[in-house]
Amino acid sequence: MIEINRISKSFAGKHAVKDLDLSVPDGKIFGFLGPNGAGKSTTIKMMTGILPIDEGSIIMNGIDVAKEPMKAKHQFGYVPDRSDIFLRLKGIEYLNFIADVFEVPKDIRKEKIEYLTKSFGIYEALNDHIQTYSHGMRQKIVVSGVLLHDPDVWILDEPLTGLDPKSSYTLKEMMRDHARRGKIVFFSTHVLEVVEQLCDEVAIINNGHVQFKGNMAEMRQQFKDDDNLEQLFLELTQNE
Amino acid sequence: MSKAWKLMRVMVKMQLSMANKSSMEKFGYIMIGLMMIPFGLLILFFIQGIIGNMYAALEPIGNEGVILGLLFVMMTFIFCFTSIGTVLSSFYFAEDVESFISLPFQPYQILFGKSAVPFLSLYGLNTILLLPSLVFYGIHSGSGVLYYLLGFIVWALTPIIPFVLTAIVLMFIMRFANISKNKDRTKVLVGLLGFVFAIGINVLVRLDSGTGNAAEMLTQQNALLELVTKFFPTAYFSSIALTDIGSWTGLFYFLLFVALSLGAILLFLTVGQRFYFKGVLGLSGGKRSEFDEEKVQKHVKQQSILMSLWKKEIRIIFRTPTFFTQIVVQSLFFPVFLIIIMMLDPNGPLTGWGTQLNVIEGKKVILGMFGLTVVALGINPASFSSVSRDGKSWFNHLYLPIPASKVILSKLLVSFFMNFLSILLLSLAALIVLKVPFIIWFLWFVISLITGWIASIAGLIIDLYTPKLNWTDEREVFKGRFIGIVPLALEAAVFGVVILILWNSGLEGIWTVSSVLILVLLIITAITQYFLNRMVQQKYYKIL
Repeated sequence: MIEINRISKSFAGKHAVKDLDLSVPDGKIFGFLGPNGAGKSTTIKMMTGILPIDEGSIIMNGIDVAKEPMKAKHQFGYVPDRSDIFLRLKGIEYLNFIADVFEVPKDIRKEKIEYLTKSFGIYEALNDHIQTYSHGMRQKIVVSGVLLHDPDVWILDEPLTGLDPKSSYTLKEMMRDHARRGKIVFFSTHVLEVVEQLCDEVAIINNGHVQFKGNMAEMRQQFKDDDNLEQLFLELTQNE
Repeated sequence: MSKAWKLMRVMVKMQLSMANKSSMEKFGYIMIGLMMIPFGLLILFFIQGIIGNMYAALEPIGNEGVILGLLFVMMTFIFCFTSIGTVLSSFYFAEDVESFISLPFQPYQILFGKSAVPFLSLYGLNTILLLPSLVFYGIHSGSGVLYYLLGFIVWALTPIIPFVLTAIVLMFIMRFANISKNKDRTKVLVGLLGFVFAIGINVLVRLDSGTGNAAEMLTQQNALLELVTKFFPTAYFSSIALTDIGSWTGLFYFLLFVALSLGAILLFLTVGQRFYFKGVLGLSGGKRSEFDEEKVQKHVKQQSILMSLWKKEIRIIFRTPTFFTQIVVQSLFFPVFLIIIMMLDPNGPLTGWGTQLNVIEGKKVILGMFGLTVVALGINPASFSSVSRDGKSWFNHLYLPIPASKVILSKLLVSFFMNFLSILLLSLAALIVLKVPFIIWFLWFVISLITGWIASIAGLIIDLYTPKLNWTDEREVFKGRFIGIVPLALEAAVFGVVILILWNSGLEGIWTVSSVLILVLLIITAITQYFLNRMVQQKYYKIL
């Protein structure tokens, strides 16, 4: 379970996130929606320890992210929104590095690397430098790295961007499977179709505030006039 | 051509713009500027001294033209040498090339624009070195207005031919480098050219000079000049043009020099039109290797996080051309250069030089060698780029469950490793070639290792304090960052005081002095380590 309690973050006196409250129960795929600059990435960065939290707290599986960062970081796997990282390493070197960080035993990592990279169709590129990978392949290697240590919580920032349909399908299936096992998938996106297809619950954020939180049915209920999600989204995130 | 000018203006603006630079960096530039003033005066004073002395010695025997000849030869070498680096980085390593390729420009137009910044740096050198030299020569020879007029034109044209030659050679090499399989590795090899060039020149000079001293060589219209003007006849043309003013020969050589310089520009653009794109297209990509399952499996092994981090850093340094040339080549340039020189000349004056150390007081030997070590290890690019190297990928350290202390330790070990390599090379040379007595060698080796560790910490502290993460091209980590000098200045100040105190203390004997020195160094290590730890606590999670 993820509990986000009234967190705030400001940059140079300007609030990026203000008193944001959210809780994500186990076994759910949680979609985090919002227009550009709404505060999605800032929130995710605070959840993952990349940005210090100004006010409030984030508790992940009972562990306070700010107070016990190392323990908390073992709870989740994070796919950042940029895939141009570790470019000079070979795919296999990157995966082995991540496995070392999470202390994955040798036989398990061997098996997992094979399984994950074969499912994403990048096994045969493992010996090449990540620099030579296409955007989608880079995304796949990062996702494989995150799944290596089988974290309870997946935090994915725009995970489907750049993936081909087959890999996109594979990842979505993996997300569903993860939630089915009672774990959490927390992901941000602006692709509304994905939310409709995939999410059990959504939160829509704008200007650093949560505008709506609930499941898809509730969302439709609340905004009866809107027949599609796009209109709803536009309405919710309209800047007065 | 107007397109080419426009392109050039945009490129110069992009590379030299002060926008986006932090106030710290701007302050750095101002400091460098201020520091250059006394340095510049010193150079002027130095040049004036040399030219004055040479003129006094050569004029009576009617050989004063050699001064100009030598000057132009020297400038040609300097221009070729500096162009290797600037041309490679501007033409090939800067990744912005690709964004221009997609626009409707001719290759020669892009090349023209790309030449601007390397050319400006050549003119900087040209203004500092050649301009005052020509003026001083004019003053000593009492030349008239015509000399200064022609001299100015020659001055303005001198950088062109060396630049064009270097650029054309590099364009040919890169054209073939581009079809090679591992592009990064090829880039690294081409980056080593400067090194080969420097050693090559040294070998040439050594082969030729024999045992005579410099003054003797000059009075005998020395072989060095002839040897070099054989390769660079333009140096000969321009010196005749300026010494035989008023004669037909002088005028002929002057016009020939001007014509050759202008021809060089045309040749440059023509060759560029044909070869530049072939070297540059697809340079940032890379070929995939044949899949080899065994190789993949070999990489799968469990190791400690520290080891894993260290390996990752080393791999990135060795595989990124800019990091490789700035860190590895720079750290090892001096020791390797020294060793090659010594190997080439096994019976030279340096061989066995160390045995004379026995005659000098032990204390002074150790303190002297320690002083040299501080200077040699002071600028360690691996240490002051420790954090900045990560650039925008720095955030990866923050969400992964790796304690800050471990990441920092791995970076410290990396920069210490670079120091260690140069200490090792130098110490082997000292022991085997210079035949430094074992006890002195051993004490110096231990002292150097501790000094290397302190130097690594100092650089890391400075980088952690003002990291440069927001770069788009690796060169920005090193370019225009004056912080590399800060650790050296700090170390020079602290260790200078230590040396002074020990030198003037009543302590005698090599063991006593070394033990005290080692003790002091260990205390300094503890203090710097303490500061580093505090800095990590304060800054590590707040850098972004």
